[in-house]
Order: sequence, then C-alpha cells, then structure tokens
Amino acid sequence: MEELFSRFTSLNEKELVRLDKAFGWSLSAAELVQARDYFRKAGREPFRGELESLAQTWSEHCKHKTFSGPVRFRSGRKVKKYRNLFKETIVRATRELDRSWCLSVFKDNAGIVEFGSDGKWGLAFKAETHNHPCAVEPYGGAETGVGGVIRDILGVGLGAKPVLNTDNFCFGRLDSKKKLPKNALGAERIFRGVVDGVRDYGNRMGIPTAAGGIYFDDGYLLNPLVYVGCAGLIPAEKIEKKVRPGDLIVSIGGRTGRDGIHGATFSSANIDEETSSSAVQIGHAINEKKVLDVIMRARDRGLYGALTDCGAGGFSSAIGELGSETGARVRLENARLKDTGIEPWEIWVSESQERMILAVSPGKMPALEDILNSENCEYCVLGEFTGDKRLLVTFNSETVVDLPMDFLHGGVPSVEKAAVHRPPRISRRPPASRAPHGRALRELLSHPNICSRHSVITQYDHEVQGGTVIKPLQGRYGDGPGDAAVIWPHAATGSVRDHAGFAVAHGFNPAAGRLDPYLMALYSVDEAVRNLVCVGAEISRTALLDNFCAASPAAPEVMGSLVLAAEGCYDAAMGYGAPFISGKDSFYNQSRDAYGKDHPIPLSLLISAVAPVADVRRAITMDLKRAGNPLYLAGVSRKGMGGSVYNEVHDTRNNYLCPLDIKAAVGTYGALLRAIKAGCVLAAHDVSQGGLAVTLAEMSFSGGFGAVVDLSSAPSEKGVSALELLFGESPSRIVVEVSREKETEFRRLTGGLPVARIGSVQERPELEAGLGGRGLLKEDILVLKSDWKRELL
Amino acid sequence: MKRPKAIILRGTGTNCDIETMTSFRYVGADAGLVHINELLAGKKKVMDYDIMAFPGGFSYGDDISAGRIFAVKMAKLAGDFARFIKGGRPVIGICNGFQILARTGFLPENGRGAQLSTLYANDGGRFLARWVRLRVNKRSPCIFTRGLPDEIELPIAHGEGKFIMKDRKALEGLLKADLHALTYVENPNGSMRDIAGITNPAGTCFGLMPHPERCFFPFQRPDRPASREAAAAGREFFRNAVEYVR
Repeated sequence: MEELFSRFTSLNEKELVRLDKAFGWSLSAAELVQARDYFRKAGREPFRGELESLAQTWSEHCKHKTFSGPVRFRSGRKVKKYRNLFKETIVRATRELDRSWCLSVFKDNAGIVEFGSDGKWGLAFKAETHNHPCAVEPYGGAETGVGGVIRDILGVGLGAKPVLNTDNFCFGRLDSKKKLPKNALGAERIFRGVVDGVRDYGNRMGIPTAAGGIYFDDGYLLNPLVYVGCAGLIPAEKIEKKVRPGDLIVSIGGRTGRDGIHGATFSSANIDEETSSSAVQIGHAINEKKVLDVIMRARDRGLYGALTDCGAGGFSSAIGELGSETGARVRLENARLKDTGIEPWEIWVSESQERMILAVSPGKMPALEDILNSENCEYCVLGEFTGDKRLLVTFNSETVVDLPMDFLHGGVPSVEKAAVHRPPRISRRPPASRAPHGRALRELLSHPNICSRHSVITQYDHEVQGGTVIKPLQGRYGDGPGDAAVIWPHAATGSVRDHAGFAVAHGFNPAAGRLDPYLMALYSVDEAVRNLVCVGAEISRTALLDNFCAASPAAPEVMGSLVLAAEGCYDAAMGYGAPFISGKDSFYNQSRDAYGKDHPIPLSLLISAVAPVADVRRAITMDLKRAGNPLYLAGVSRKGMGGSVYNEVHDTRNNYLCPLDIKAAVGTYGALLRAIKAGCVLAAHDVSQGGLAVTLAEMSFSGGFGAVVDLSSAPSEKGVSALELLFGESPSRIVVEVSREKETEFRRLTGGLPVARIGSVQERPELEAGLGGRGLLKEDILVLKSDWKRELL
Repeated sequence: MKRPKAIILRGTGTNCDIETMTSFRYVGADAGLVHINELLAGKKKVMDYDIMAFPGGFSYGDDISAGRIFAVKMAKLAGDFARFIKGGRPVIGICNGFQILARTGFLPENGRGAQLSTLYANDGGRFLARWVRLRVNKRSPCIFTRGLPDEIELPIAHGEGKFIMKDRKALEGLLKADLHALTYVENPNGSMRDIAGITNPAGTCFGLMPHPERCFFPFQRPDRPASREAAAAGREFFRNAVEYVR
C-alpha cells in the first residue's frame, strides 16, 4: 500500500478506492479523484499528512456533506430537487423567522440565544452524538462524547461556562430475543457502559446532567444512539472570535497520543466485525476540569482572541478551522505527547481528548502561563497563525502538510443523492381493545419506554451548581417524572438576586417516524414545546436543536425519510415560531451481521428545545398538589393508535397517525402559559407515551393523591373510542391541576379553546376513569406506582 | 457589623466551590475562592481568614480514593489548619470536603492527625444523588446546626459516603459526646449508626455528606412549597457560622 501511495497522482479510481479502504479515510471516489487531480496540478505527490487532513476535513462528521449536499427527492410522481437540503429547510426557517434574540446561529460550536433581561448574557446550547464509539466501547464512547460536547460549549465564542448536560439514549430492548452477531455487545452491556461513562465524566466536571430520555427499540440493538448535549452561559460581549496573524497557536489540556486515530472517518463507516475499538478515545475528566477552570479565568481577563476545541480530526480540524481565514504554521515537534512511538501525521489527526486550541497574542502569553501553571494545566505552543492563507505543518525538518486553506475547506466535491419515499400501509379501522383497561394501564406503566428512570437519574449529580430548580425527579416523594428541567444558572451569572432561568426539554418519536417522517418532525417539535409549557417557560422564545441519526445515506429510502423529516422541521419551526440555532447529524448507523444482512436504525430525530423562564420561583412541576382541585385537559384527543406504546404491547390493528394542527396547539399553549403565570395552575404534565391514562397515573402517584375523571367531557374528535381516549397518543395535549380558588380565572383565560374540566383530585388513593358514567378503570395508585417504579439498571 | 472572611478552599476537580462561596456571601461573609496551590506557594495564608470551607467535588478526580490526594497536599500545611481549628474558627467540609477532613484526621478530632474514620463506597455500590431526610441532634455541640428543626431535608450526591469507624470504642465515644450532629432517617449508603455528619467536641469543625448549599432557597426543594420567600434548611448552616464569628 505504501508503494501505491507513493504514486498517488498516477492512480486510477479503482486503485484510489483500494488505497482509501486500506488507510481508513472513508473518502468517496469523487473526493479521491478531486484530491488526486489537485496534486497532479501541483506537480508533486502528496504527503501522508495531507491526505489525512483532507479525509478529516472532508469527512461526513466535519462537513455534513450529505445533509448540506444536493438531493433529488421522489415521492410517487412528484420530484423535488434541493441544492443544499439543510439550508433549504432547517436554516431557512431560522433565516425567515429572523429573531433578534438569536445571537449566533449555525456558525460556531453551538447556537447562542439571549439570556436574562439585561442583555448581558448569552445562552449557548449544543447536542452531539457519539454513536459509533458507544457501539464498540460504551464506557469510553459515552465519556468522550460528554467531554466533547462540553468542549463545544467551552469553545463557543470566547468560552461559555457549562451549566447543564443533557443525555438521550437509544438501546435495543434489554429483553431482546434477537441473536447478536459475533463481537457485538448486548443491549444491557451497552446501556450500563454508557450510563457509567456519562455519570463518571459529567459528575467529575461538576455539571448537572438533568434532562434527557432513554428509548428502547430493537432497531438500536446493534447501533445504540447516544445523544449528549450541553448548555452554557457566556457574557454577550464575548461571542465574537478573532484570530490575528502573529497570534500563537497554544494547545492546552491533555497530551496527544495514539488513541482516537480516525475517529472522524470511522463515523462514516458501517460497523462490522472488523471494527476496532482503538478508534475510540480515552477520556480523563479532571484534565478537562482544569481546562474549564483555566478558560473561565483567562476569558474574563481577555488573554486570547479565539479558541476552539479539538474534537473530530484533532489539531487538523481545530487549527484548520481557526486558521481558515489567515493561514497557520505548525511545528508538531512542540506537541506534548503521551507516547513517543507516534508518527507526525498521527499527532496531526489524533483525537486525544481534553485539548483546546487558543489563539494568543504573544504579549499576553506570560499572563496566560501564570493561570495555566496555577491550575496545574499542561500546555504547549504549536506555532503561529500567519497571513499567507496556507497551512504548513512540519515535524522538525519533515513536511507533514503544505496546502492552501481554500482547497482544504472548499475543495470537497458535492454528489447528488437520490431520495425516494414509499409510504407504509396505513389502517384506520376501529382499534381493537385487547385487554381490560386497568391491566393495560399497568402493563404500559411498566413498559421500558414509560417506566421510571430513577435508577439512572440518581447516578447523575443532577443538582451540582445548586441551580436545578425543576428537577428530573420531583414532587412529594422526589420521584415524579418531570417534563422539562429548569436551570437557574446563578453559579455562572454570580447573582442569586436575579431569578431568570431557562428550561430544556426534548421531543423524540421514531415510532411515528416509521409511519410518517414528516409528521414525526412535527410531533417531536410539538412534544418539546409542550414539555416547556408544562414548567411555565416562555415558549414564544423557544430555540431548537436538531440531531438527526440515520442509516446509510446511500439508500434512497433513508434519504427520502430524511427529506420529509427536514421539511417537517421547517414547517414546525415556522408554525411554532421556534428557530433552529444549531444541529448535527450522524449517518451510517447500521450494522452488518454475521450473515451479511444489514440492520439500519429507524430514522431518529432528537429535538432539543430551550426557552427562558422569567422567574424560576414560579416554575411548576407535574405532581398533584391538593385534593378537591379540578383537573383539566387541554388539547383535542384524536383518533388513531399509530406509533403508540399500546400498539407495541397489544396490536390494535390501527396504525393511523393523526395530523397535527400547529396553529391550534400554539393557541392552547399560549393560554395555558398565561394561566400558569397567573398562578392558576398548580401542576401540569404532558400526554405522551402511553396516552392520557399514563399521564394521570404519573401525576397521581407523584403527588400521593388519587384522581377521578370522566372522559366524555374531554375535548375530542367525533367518534373517538374509549381506547383512543385512554391510551392514544395524539399530540398537543396537557393535563393541568387548577387551583380551586382560581378556577374562574383559569376558565376566563382559556375560554373558547379546547380546554375542558375532566375531573378532580381526590384524597382517596385511586385513579378512576369513566366515560359518560361507564367505568373504564379504577386502580390503586400505590399499585400503579409499584408497576412503574422499576429498576432499569 | 463585622464581615467575617471565609476561605473557600479548592483544588483541581473541586466543583461546588462557587455555590458554597455564594452561600457564605448571601449571609454576610466576605467569601473568596482560594486554590490550595496559592496556600502552598505562600501567596495566601489560612490564618488571614475567619471561616474555612472545603466544598464538594472530585478533588484530583478522587483518584486512589475520595479526597486522598487533596489530603496529601494539605499535609504540608497541617500545622496551619490545626491552628485554625484549635483557635475555634469554624470549618465546614461538605461531601468531598468531609472526605478530606476525615482523611486528614481533623474529623473525628484526635489531636494526632490520625485517620479514625473512612467514607467508604456506598452499600448500593453506585453514586447516588437524591434528597434525604435528616435528623438533627439537638444535644450536639455543633455550631452549624444550631436552631434547626428536629428533621430537615437536604440532597446528597456521592459514591463514597458510607461513614465507618474501625474502632468501635471510639465510635461509641463519638456518639456519647453527641458529635454526630446529623443522622439519616433512612440510611442511603450503609453509614454506621446512620451518621451523615460529625463535629469536633468544640462544635466548630463540621463535616457532612449532604449539600446544604443546594437547599438555600425553598424553591430549590423538589416539592416546591408554596412559601417562596422563607429560608430553607441549608441556609442555616452558613448563617450559624457567620453569626458564631460575629
């Protein structure tokens, strides 16, 4: 192969592809040809480091070329062409909404929105995935995923202080009967490893892990999804980076080693039996904590002009990015190393963790060194940013890379992807009830996608920094399942007199996506927004993150569902007035088993939403508070059991997914929010997985009260069945407990909307539901709680 | 009125330092963060302060075991710390801070710097973050828990919080002197005699596993009580220290 590489410019396409496979670059044939032609024109053979640089910089992971590339979409006879799918859907909504409170969108490591009332602060938010690493080495993969997204926040603008971590996981079912291929890890092994990794890293960093979810489906058996997010506070005047020629390139934090070679390119490969865990980095949280402490002190003293994290692609990406406008001169012999047996090109692309690159004016170096030394944080000066727009990397007298910046960043060729959509067969027949309702409710409560997450949540220090005012576990017994976390970031702002905070919630619904990817996007945004309503957040100021995970984009069906979901994101963002501020995508989440069969994941879209909470003291929880208070249901219950957990447990033969009326939802949410602010609402909980019955059960046992409801008064579509009322999952619905003394005011605030009283809170510890006098179910809340409160781990 | 100076001592991996500082400031102390390197380098002096706090976190990653490396670093300054405590200036160690006070032999106090107790891995075998009910020992000389009701709630967040003492007689002595200022109502980690926090006989040096700085305001509680303005249990610990110095 070395021989083949030595005559790179004379290779044909087939030979290039062979070389690519041997060297693990994951470049496409068109990209390899582009690179070959560049060096032909330059009249020389490339250095190994140059191809490695191109492979990193042009990788799916760094460039997102699938999502931001051209697509030809076909559905039946309809054809639609996109030149840049991402810009024409998700970014377009942000541009058209043009919100003044969006301070930085889609250009930095994270999106930034305004925070607080005095214009002094920005709130940065970002979510990432670390799926491939977690499939082969769950603990290390999860740790370094958390570490990576925290560095994104540390490296946004001139550095934000992390105040919240989020985590959303998808695993195969723990009781899966499917046979695993050789070398594949079982779902439980992955689950445990991932939770341990998130815990050990997040806890050591002193950042509360307080929002997220866990989803089990055998579609994720071989390809778990691990979404990790981070939010941080940044002074508004510290959002702009500026690299000046002459600035020193300073690497701080961890040393460089051979761990994590080819991480960026590895994430563009399908996982098979030959996949090795050496592409996964090794995390060390305390090194990153030192980096955090240094950056916060150095930022406030203005000791650097720009910074970014070393993530995928290591120095190559970080320095390449920071120096893209100026040029950079790097001397790799200055790097601090973990071991000596490392090749120069490996130093250049290694993804060793806990490293950040700073652009430091030479005059400020002594002051920075003082801080670095006082925090025992290692560093090295790798070179300087230049003005020649070239990237020149050497190791002593050996050249590693010598390329113009514009070829490195602009040279990637775009290839049109084919996308088709073939809708599945949908049945609208009346759903068949398969079990007594009471029994069905108990089965749903103990379902892995509904039951309590306490055994995971209590392993995370979700209250460090003392600002988690609405907690993931809440209520009288400290175990009720919250809808959204509300963070009061006083540890970052330094003020406990100011009560401004923010709420974070998620929407995720791959079950709906299997039926209709477009509706899945609408459902997911709606779920995230209604979770925010439930705690009393200002939803008119909602900002969103999109994180797509999909199988191979070479499959037109995969691309087809992606196109529909992206269109759904556009419509939802416009409808809810909620711009996307940052996003990420991860493809090639599929595995080949021992029989050569491919197992793609279902299209998975995680929507993360953040919105301000004007006064965290007034935020509310989901547990019932007092016997005698009226219970109201907001939002229309519709026909259809499609995508429901009930359907997974007892197939009703109905898989219809009802449409979503965004305008109606926004109107109802707005009225509820006014009622919450007026102090009329004591508890609110959204209707999601398991339907209304599960919502009522959770509110009851979390507060230690019973509830009695008659669903005949629920706002509903004509002809909706008892089964659909109890267990259907039609969107845009919220159950609220209204203060008895303020019921009149509540009715006035919600007048003319689909909001109706369905019953009341009762002292007797029983959940009773009826339909026009006919009893549907009557269950002891302690029994329901014991079904729900399972130890998942 | 005197504004007592509080030193919030941190090292690599300390992570509850800011909220601990904020808590002391709120009740009237002039509190500041000091890295142990600054003490070791002689840039700051322990005896310039009136109150000392060892906040929670994972000092030096809790490598080897919780609080171990921080304790080793402190050994060089053991004389200063001993003088500070002997002088009756309040010292509080929270979570990792308690682990450090136990490692350095300041708690239980024995005058020899001998480690008599360990905060060992929880019985459940894993890190545990949740709210717990605590009994306040009204007979304890502890100045930090003065005036608290018989029972309070605070959050815990630790993997190594099981209080154990090898010397049964010493443990009995500790109980007899009412040095166990706080005990768990439902023991979450297997601590001997449900111990959650202990003090020295003077009542001025206090270590506890729960986090009072996270229950400073009532709206930080999981049950969101209606009264939003009242103080929460955690605040009293800090107020007591400041009033004691005044």
